[in-house]
Amino acid sequence: MIGERWTAYWFVLPGTVLLAAILGFPAIASILESFGLQGGAGPAGGYAALLSDAQFLTASFNTALFVVCVVTLHIILGLAVALLLNSQIRHLWFFRVVAILPWTVPDVIGGLIFRFMLDPLSGGVNALAIRLQLMQQPYDWLGDPDWAMVSVIMAETWRGYPYPMLILLAGLQAIPKEQYEAAAIDGAGAWATFTNVTLPSLMPMILIAVVLDVIWQCRLFGMIYGMTNGGPGDATQNLSLFVYRQYFQFFETSYAASAAVVLAAVLLAVAVPYIRATLREKD
Amino acid sequence: MIGRLKTYAKLGTALLFTAAMSVSQQAFAEQVTITYSDWQLAQEGWGKSLRTAIGEFEAKNPGIKVVTEPVQLGQRDVRFTTAIRAGRGPDVFALDANPVRQYISEGWVLGLSRFAEAQDSAFFDDFYDTSLAPVTVDGTVYGVPMNTVAMGLVYNRKKFEAAGLSGPATSWAEFSAHADALTDAGAGQWATTLVLAPAGFDLRVPSIFHSFGASFLTSDWSASALDTPEMKAAFTYVVDLIKSGAVPPGVTQVDANGARRLLANGQIAMTIGTTWTIPEVSTMNPNLDGWNVLRIAALPTDGGRKISPHTTLYQKSLFINANTKHPEAAWALVNFLTERAQMERWFDDNNMLSSRRSVNETYGPIQESPFASVVSQEIQHGTFLPLIPEWPRILDTFRQNLQDAVTGTKTADQALADAHRETNAILKASGN
Repeated sequence: MIGERWTAYWFVLPGTVLLAAILGFPAIASILESFGLQGGAGPAGGYAALLSDAQFLTASFNTALFVVCVVTLHIILGLAVALLLNSQIRHLWFFRVVAILPWTVPDVIGGLIFRFMLDPLSGGVNALAIRLQLMQQPYDWLGDPDWAMVSVIMAETWRGYPYPMLILLAGLQAIPKEQYEAAAIDGAGAWATFTNVTLPSLMPMILIAVVLDVIWQCRLFGMIYGMTNGGPGDATQNLSLFVYRQYFQFFETSYAASAAVVLAAVLLAVAVPYIRATLREKD
Repeated sequence: MIGRLKTYAKLGTALLFTAAMSVSQQAFAEQVTITYSDWQLAQEGWGKSLRTAIGEFEAKNPGIKVVTEPVQLGQRDVRFTTAIRAGRGPDVFALDANPVRQYISEGWVLGLSRFAEAQDSAFFDDFYDTSLAPVTVDGTVYGVPMNTVAMGLVYNRKKFEAAGLSGPATSWAEFSAHADALTDAGAGQWATTLVLAPAGFDLRVPSIFHSFGASFLTSDWSASALDTPEMKAAFTYVVDLIKSGAVPPGVTQVDANGARRLLANGQIAMTIGTTWTIPEVSTMNPNLDGWNVLRIAALPTDGGRKISPHTTLYQKSLFINANTKHPEAAWALVNFLTERAQMERWFDDNNMLSSRRSVNETYGPIQESPFASVVSQEIQHGTFLPLIPEWPRILDTFRQNLQDAVTGTKTADQALADAHRETNAILKASGN
């Protein structure tokens, strides 16, 4: 019996070692770097400096604002599209392909596409708005701090919604038809069916979609880098861009590692509900 | 007799074969491959010149093969620093002046004084003292300067003539008057643009501040000098110029290439640039006839006064990676690419001035060029941006605050005060 138990551990060992090497080594190296143990600001110097760094605080606020807005819009849009794709419409396969297309665009490319579209001199958005007589002069969308943030939120909403949409679509398809039939027998209308059958059955999948999307959006780099590079000023600079700049532009490796570890810790906290939900399902 | 001849023939053949094998094996053993990385390799004209020069180097040095590694300017430091930290990276690479002190302080580049002195005790005498300053720390030279130029005002003389202007402004007040005359936003025509995006900001916008007599840091680079009256005047001028409508919308996203494209498309009449602007703009739009239409002048100054320094210097230098396994071969390449003949060809091909005094002062085509003669004079009135490791962070802080003033997030005074405070905080945190 004991021998069988050890045999199982031997089978698990290669995978464990591989995971430790791939995931563990960079994580430990980053933590050591963040405490200045590989040369740098000295123990915890970077963490203390972060608290008084206006750029870090602004980047944290921008990240929170961006994530809340984008994830909310992703869930609303993703659910709406998932409901449409779950219905019985003709040529469903075509609409499914179209709906998933934005997700195939790399985020940096997506950022550049929106940057060109919003260009005040040659961009299509201004040209269309002027032609439709919605405005007289081209507007510098990405040069206005408020509109720049709105623009990156809208761009990432478009690019990233298929991911939660796919999760929710899978959830919708897993709801037993009998529940809808019972609701129909009870005389429930479309809205009552949605709020009393669909939404409650979908809640675990919504939770998973929210958690995964929050993690994804907190780490987002390419879309903002390609579209605004964090500007104007630091109006759209998020934590990923902040870390990138500290590391590669300012050569502040220890400081960048401190900020990265803080971001990772926050993401780990966010991931706890997902991990618990997953473990509960297995139990 | 015949038998003896046959024996001699066999012996001779065997000797020849052995000798040939020996030479071949020696050549194989001495064949060295080194890598060369340069952002200019990624650009058509510059890349062609560099590859031609490297081809000549390989022909002259059959034991050395050079593998070129183009890199985009915006990705250069990401690529280099990641590779060098991992114990790799190109054997020889090019840098501009801004990040040089970080590379030296991190120990990423080899000191070159010993190579130069072994070759010629007067090796560095031909280089401008100004050019050697950014690459020298504690008496050791870490890079060989290749090109040094000063920033000036590149303008479209046809647009000036059409607006009834005799020539470029000599004072910033006159520049504003010219801007009014050259701008017709309804027709898609503006006077100028400024580079407020990161790529190219460092050379161009700081030149305006220098021409007001302002500095970013105190002379010992230990504290911010952003609270001086000269800096306040310059900062307010830049913000007001942008808000006056003399620049096209979207200025916060304009990088160096974007500014050149606006000039090439005839949407602006002038921009801050230097000798390389002429071939770059001409390539973007051959119909502009840039070599005949464009001209370079010294930047205006505050009140038209003589202010020195009044512009920013750009410099490209070559460095040897501290991780290289072939320092001698790397030095041979650095030496070849920066020697006089190559510098002359570099001007012929790319309109770029040399860091060698003898080339700029005696090479005929440079003396006769309407562009090079102006820029060559301006080198004497130029200055490098502060050569301290904290500089990239300070410059970005300044740039972001300037953008905040331009977009109205802060007033000009508030933005400059914030930049001053944040600069001092950066310097204090680094122990200055």
